[in-house]
Amino acid sequence: MQCKDIELVLEQEGLEPLPEQARAHLAECRDCRNYIADLTSLVDAAKKLPAEITPPDRIWISLRAQLEEEGIIRTPADITPVVQGSWWQSISAFFPNRVLATAMVGILIVAAAVFQIRSDRTVPVVSPDRTAKTGISLPVAKTAAAEQLVPQTSGEFDRTARDLSEQEPVATGMIVASRSPIDASLRDNLKKVNEFIAECERHLKEQPQDELTREYLSAAYQQKAELLSAMIERGRSIN
Amino acid sequence: MCLRMMQINPAVPVSWAKRSILPVLSAGLFLWSATPARAAGTGQRIEKQFSITGRPVVVIHNVANGRIEVKSWKNSEVNVVGTQTSNKIGFEIEQVGDRIDVTATILEPGADSLDLQANLQLTVPEETELQLKTETGLIYVEQVMGDMKLESYAGDVHLKEVSGYIIVKTTGGSLVCTQCAGKLDFSSIGGNAQILQPQLNNVNLMTTTGNILFDGDFVRTGLYSMKSGKGLVEVRFSSTDSFDLKAQTATGIVDNQAASFLKPDSHGVKHIASKFTHGLFGTVGMGLAKVELSSYSGTIRIMKRD
Repeated sequence: MQCKDIELVLEQEGLEPLPEQARAHLAECRDCRNYIADLTSLVDAAKKLPAEITPPDRIWISLRAQLEEEGIIRTPADITPVVQGSWWQSISAFFPNRVLATAMVGILIVAAAVFQIRSDRTVPVVSPDRTAKTGISLPVAKTAAAEQLVPQTSGEFDRTARDLSEQEPVATGMIVASRSPIDASLRDNLKKVNEFIAECERHLKEQPQDELTREYLSAAYQQKAELLSAMIERGRSIN
Repeated sequence: MCLRMMQINPAVPVSWAKRSILPVLSAGLFLWSATPARAAGTGQRIEKQFSITGRPVVVIHNVANGRIEVKSWKNSEVNVVGTQTSNKIGFEIEQVGDRIDVTATILEPGADSLDLQANLQLTVPEETELQLKTETGLIYVEQVMGDMKLESYAGDVHLKEVSGYIIVKTTGGSLVCTQCAGKLDFSSIGGNAQILQPQLNNVNLMTTTGNILFDGDFVRTGLYSMKSGKGLVEVRFSSTDSFDLKAQTATGIVDNQAASFLKPDSHGVKHIASKFTHGLFGTVGMGLAKVELSSYSGTIRIMKRD
C-alpha cells in the first residue's frame, strides 16, 4: 500500500478501524503516521467545540429578504401539495401542547430558511393552506390584505411573501388572546404594513418597472419580518 | 431583593433584640448594596447608585409598561430610580465594570396591564452610551452625549439636546428629536418623526404610514434621507442653507412652496425623474448638503422657514 492509498482509505472509511494493509504501511511510513496523528487531533479538537448557537428568527428572515432582493437566491416555482389528514393527526397527537406546537412551527420555518440559504436552491414549502389545515397555527387573524398577498406577489418577492404569510398566523396566534394595548398596537401595525404591501403589489403589477415602489415594497417586507419576529418574541414572553 | 416586615415579640428583652436584629439588618444592608439588586412590592420604589470610572454604558430592558427617563449630571455616577405599581414586576439592576444593566421583568404574566407599570428614572454622566428597550411608555432622554439605541413597540421617544449616533426603532411610537446632533437613524411602521432645530449631519428617517417633519438647518456636507410610505414628508429650511434636493413620489404629490429658492442643479448634473414617479430636483445655495425626500403615496412638502 502506498501513501496515496492511505488517503483513499481515510476518505472512504474514516480514521478507524484501519485495515490490516494500512496499518502495515503506517508501521513503516512516518509521514503517514504524522498525517493520521494530525487528523486525529483535529477531530478531537472539533468535538470539544461548543454547540452552535441558533440565531433569532428575524436574522434568517432579514437575510433571506436581502438575498432575494439582491437576486442571489431564487424564487421557487412549486408549492408542496397539501399534506394528508392522517399525517397531521399523528403530529397533533404528538404535540398536544399549544406552545410546543407553535415553537415547532417556528423551528420548521427557520430550518427551511437555513436550508434554502445554504443550498442556494429552493425547497418545497408548506403552503398557507397546509398551515391552516394542520391546525398547528393558532387562530388565524389574517387581514384581507394579507390573504391577497400571495396571489398578488410576483417575481423576486414571491418567496418572501409566502414565508411571511406562513409565519403571520403563528405570530398573530401567539398574542391573539392578549388584550394588552401593546399587542393591540402590534396587530394594528401589522394591518397597516399588510395594507401597504398590498398597495405596492397592486401598483407594481401595473408598473413593474417602478423602482421606487419596489424599494418601498422591499422595505415593507423587511418591516413585516421584524414585526412578526417581535410578535413571536412577545408571545413567548407572555405565554 | 425582597424586604420583608420582621415581627418582633415585645416580651423579648431589648438587648437581645438589638443583638439579634442588628447583625441581620447589617447583613441585609450589605446584600442590598451588592449587585444585582431586585425589587418587588406594591407601589415600591428602588434607588441605586453606581460609581463609574470611564464612559458608562447603560442597558435598560423594560418589558413592563412605563416610562424611561434619562437625564445627565456632572457626577461620575449612575443613579437609577425604579418605581412600580404592583409586586407583579421585578427590577434587576446590575453593574459590571462601567456597564449598568437594568431589567424590569414581569413576574406574573397574566396580570392586568395596570399592574404591570414600571417607571425608570436614570441620571447618568453626560457622556454615556445608552441601549434602551421598552414595550410601551415614553422614552425620554435629555442632554446625553453618546451613541444610543432606543427601541419601543408602542411608546414614543423624545430626545432633547442629545448627540452621537442615535438609532431609534419603533413599531407605532413617534419620535420627537429637539436640538439633536450627530447621526440619526429612525425606522417605524406607524410612528411619526419630528426633527426640530437639529445639528445632525447624517439623517435616515423611514416610516411606513407616519409623517415626517424636518424643521431646521442642513449641515454642510450632511446627508439626509427621509422616506414615508403613505405619510407627509415636510421639510422647512432656511434661506442660508445649502443643499441639493431630490424629491420623488410614486403616486403622491410634491408640493414645492419654495420654488423661488430652488435653482436647477448647479453642479452640471442633469437629473431626470423616472417616468413612473413625480420628481423635483434642485439646489439651494451652493448645494453642499444632500437631501433626498421620498414618499410612495403621500405628499412631499418643501418650504422655507420665516
